Amino acid sequence: MIRILRDFTKRIFGQLFRGRKQVKLGLYGPPNSGKTTLANRICKDWLGEELGSASKIPHETREVQVKEAVKIKSKGKELNFNVVDTPGIATKIDYEDFMKHKMKPQDAKKRAKEATRGVIEAIKWLDNVDAVLVVLDATENPYSQVNITIVGNLAARKIPVMVVANKIDLKKAKIKKVEAAFPQYDVVGISAENGKNMEEFYESLFRLVNKR
Amino acid sequence: MHQCVKCSEMYDDGAMEILKGCKCGGRFFFFMKKKDIDAVKEITVNLTPEAKEQLENDAMELVGQDKEELPVILDLESIRMNEPGKFEIDLIDLFNGKPLVFKLSEGKYIIDIVSTFDKDGDKR
Repeated sequence: MIRILRDFTKRIFGQLFRGRKQVKLGLYGPPNSGKTTLANRICKDWLGEELGSASKIPHETREVQVKEAVKIKSKGKELNFNVVDTPGIATKIDYEDFMKHKMKPQDAKKRAKEATRGVIEAIKWLDNVDAVLVVLDATENPYSQVNITIVGNLAARKIPVMVVANKIDLKKAKIKKVEAAFPQYDVVGISAENGKNMEEFYESLFRLVNKR
Repeated sequence: MHQCVKCSEMYDDGAMEILKGCKCGGRFFFFMKKKDIDAVKEITVNLTPEAKEQLENDAMELVGQDKEELPVILDLESIRMNEPGKFEIDLIDLFNGKPLVFKLSEGKYIIDIVSTFDKDGDKR
């Protein structure tokens, strides 16, 4: 009898806290796909302030950045998120790529080292997220080693995933190609920079979180 | 005749390299008629590496393919440091939580013992 009562109480309280719990939402993807721009868009939409700085030079985000208690509303429902913006995941990091952006060799080498450390950190953080947005540049080939490895690993870990095809405002964007590459996932096309299609994005985000 | 866009090596018509790729790894060739070889060579020699890359990209775009990036698959190491500022990362090893093994050069490795015992990563 006591055990039944204890289990019942545990279940009720568990559900209550689960409802209130902050959802740790990780933003993952290759460098320069727009993770920080999307994180900034979300934070700006709901907190009125940005999270980090974005740049055209790859690997601008080299440390995991978290914005806590981001209350997002969609269709009358409200959820609390911790938005986790992660460094871009890459298989090759070459300081000469940074020098093409007029960076000095010493600074470029330092950036490459920090970016490599960032990749390791980003992957470690996967243990701490509840759901993941895989942010891809819709103008790039979706069948890359990085994209396939990220999505495949998330599936193996049973972490709910939504694919965000970013930069759909650009002429070269091919959202159909992204959809074809990841047919088993919800793919939402947006432009984080100019806020295009964010409403559908938030609706899909709520669907994703409810899958947990 | 066919000339590799990357290394300028010349191949006869029907050479295997044209199908399989040049020994330098290049997969694009300038086609030139034997009588025009000297004139065409002059044009290709004057092309900058950037212009050659642009040619390859344009050709790939025309046939509707993206430029292929070779996947990084490393041996024992999870991170290869080719020279200061140049890194190759085996993502599968990292995702699978394998210990960090850095390859500095042939036969020289650094193993991150802490990461070996801390498989759950930093609990935050």
